[in-house]
Amino acid sequence: MNLKRQKTKPVDKTIRFSSPGDLRAALGEQNYIAGDEIATIMYLSQQLGKPLLTEGPAGVGKTELAKAIASATCRELIRLQCYEGLDETKALYEWEYAKQLLYTQLLREKLHETLAGTESLSAAADRLENEEEVFFSMRFLLQRPLLKAILSEQPTVLLIDEIDRADAEFEAFLLEVLSDFQVSVPELGTLSAIYRPLVVLTSNNTRELSEALKRRCLYLFIDYPSIEQEMAVVRLKVPELSPKLAMQAVEMVQSLRTMDLRKSPSISETLDWAKALVALNATKLDKSTLNTTMSVLLKHENDLQRAKRWIENPPVSGFPTDEDDWRTTRTRN
Amino acid sequence: MEERIARFITALRSSGLRISLSESTDAFKAVEEMGVKNREIFRLSLQTTLVKEAENLPTFDELFSIFFGNSDVPTFMSAADDITPEEAQQFAKGIEQLNDQLRRMLERLLKGEMLSQQELERLSKMIGLNQMDDMRYRDWMVQRMKRALHFKEVQEALRMLEETLQQLGMNKERSQRLVQLMQANQRALVEQLRQFSGQRIAENMTNKRKEVSADALINRPFNTLSDKDMEILRKEVQHLASILRTRIALRMKKARSGSLDAKSTIRANLKHGNVPIQLKHREHSLKPKLVVICDVSTSMRYCSELMLSLLYHLQDQISKTMAFAFIDHLEFISPDFTNKDARQAVSHVLERMPSGYYNTDLGKSLQDFHRNYLEVIDGRTTLIVVGDGRNNYNDPQLDIFRKVTRRCRRAIWINPEASALWNSGDSDMLRYSPNCDVILTANTLAQLTSALDRLLIH
Repeated sequence: MNLKRQKTKPVDKTIRFSSPGDLRAALGEQNYIAGDEIATIMYLSQQLGKPLLTEGPAGVGKTELAKAIASATCRELIRLQCYEGLDETKALYEWEYAKQLLYTQLLREKLHETLAGTESLSAAADRLENEEEVFFSMRFLLQRPLLKAILSEQPTVLLIDEIDRADAEFEAFLLEVLSDFQVSVPELGTLSAIYRPLVVLTSNNTRELSEALKRRCLYLFIDYPSIEQEMAVVRLKVPELSPKLAMQAVEMVQSLRTMDLRKSPSISETLDWAKALVALNATKLDKSTLNTTMSVLLKHENDLQRAKRWIENPPVSGFPTDEDDWRTTRTRN
Repeated sequence: MEERIARFITALRSSGLRISLSESTDAFKAVEEMGVKNREIFRLSLQTTLVKEAENLPTFDELFSIFFGNSDVPTFMSAADDITPEEAQQFAKGIEQLNDQLRRMLERLLKGEMLSQQELERLSKMIGLNQMDDMRYRDWMVQRMKRALHFKEVQEALRMLEETLQQLGMNKERSQRLVQLMQANQRALVEQLRQFSGQRIAENMTNKRKEVSADALINRPFNTLSDKDMEILRKEVQHLASILRTRIALRMKKARSGSLDAKSTIRANLKHGNVPIQLKHREHSLKPKLVVICDVSTSMRYCSELMLSLLYHLQDQISKTMAFAFIDHLEFISPDFTNKDARQAVSHVLERMPSGYYNTDLGKSLQDFHRNYLEVIDGRTTLIVVGDGRNNYNDPQLDIFRKVTRRCRRAIWINPEASALWNSGDSDMLRYSPNCDVILTANTLAQLTSALDRLLIH
């Protein structure tokens, strides 16, 4: 890619939405069921050009939202998975030393030729200086996700996944990129974005994010879905499951979520379970089916035991809500 | 509308949300973009730009419904046109024996009249609603207004009324309907009170004078802090802890003084034909093990609480913390901190350990520590004592203190008192001091933070 080409802006072939309803319908086409909240906030993020920070329990479809919006807008999805110790060389760019060395070796002849006829060492160095650009050009720049999103000729969706896992310093570094969408590479100068990418950050809230980052983002909290929404998702993604059984399964998962478990089952686990039920040709949720398939839903031994005990002796109220008053689950997405 | 939004943001701020100027600008931009016609979209535009933490969403919702509520006046139904003159007479007779106030109230419920603005004003003056500037008092205020309107008695009277009316010859269905209607009106009245108190408190919140900023408070001595100041400082602790954490993380990154790692140096330099061009160092381990002994008597409580909450916010930078608290005896309090914040934990500890008058006894507490917990101290442990060293003329047990401090790597004493006061009265500070490696004076939160920062340098 040539730097000079950036000056003429290529035509934007991607889709922009004209209203939240429009966006919601487009997401629906991608098999992503979005509530008003998600659609409106996503639309605002497009209009204001601000990054979107989504938070919520694991497995409620935060990453899925970014994927869906990318295919709904026909944009390329560029994903940056965060982890502890992630740094600029892995996130932004790196010079490809090996390739540079190899080229110098292979081009030795040519170098000899270029430098032939110079009288002094300094004259040779001067001449070499003119050719320096060759070795520090985009050719040898290894583009990592952030730089890729900035240099892309078409608008992209940049997904920064699980930002809470990265270190605080990386977060600070990200601030600069997110506010201006430009990076400076000392050897090349400042590279700025042709089109601002649509940025989606996800966080599982394992640590507090810095206020500076939050200030620059729009905030979307995605919680476990309501019973109707979850039902719709199951019907959409696992159509083979009979509606009656699907309803029972969803009700079961919803009531499991009210229990004080170490890891509550999320939508992705509901879907896995639904698929398991289809695979086993289950016709109803009886004790033996539950016993064999429950481990798809619950991933901790303790949780499993508790859930089994609860199924065997359901409390009179029907919901085991005695211990979870402290947890305010907001079911609204 | 713009002014309304600005007031709404002020109210959000005064109920504890941190909203920066750029965020409020975003909110206005978002509203401009999306318009105000659709209430739900308007709400979402404000929510996504102003609220950045899930735990603040309920506060937002509550205030939003007050500021931009569709202010549905609760519906009151009048039964006055519905009843026959005969029934009206029966009703009047039925409430005859009640006292004046109750009779007026019941008549009001029958007619379905709502409270007038003047009546509401009088009521709010009576119960002190005008001074309230915190949403948490809303329900309490409604309770008080209900009490002032004798709601309980009215309910009682309504229950009796149905019977009385039947005895007076009204048919059963009619009397039931009448009473049900009046009960519905009473519920509507409660709703009116709720709305009114919410709006009034919200107004007071926006007019509230600016609180002393946290910046000023962190430089204020512990013994001059009020409960309200403490409230602000507790929030500030989190902020300070995150600053400290970044500083520690940076320091760790820059510290290259870890010892040479021969194994990985050889491995890294294989490609250079085993000429050690690249040196590899071991990770610099900075994580200390801490044993904290805190004085939680009345004079030291704030200092200890802030210290403990700072420490517990920095758990990821410390390999292990064992916390002990004492007044007249010593207790192991680390278990109290699991799943709780420092404030709850400290108040939980204080419930078990009521502070009496002049009963602080560090000597005996050190004895307890020596007897039961000495094994928690080893060569990697840093011992921190938070206390003023005032022993009420009890035996300071210097021997034991010396023994304990010899076992640990470092002994640090954090004392809120200035060193000039150490020799006065019942202070044993100067007698303890030779056994401490470092003595830090921390009389404000700022000093406490910098003390902690120094403590985490190795």
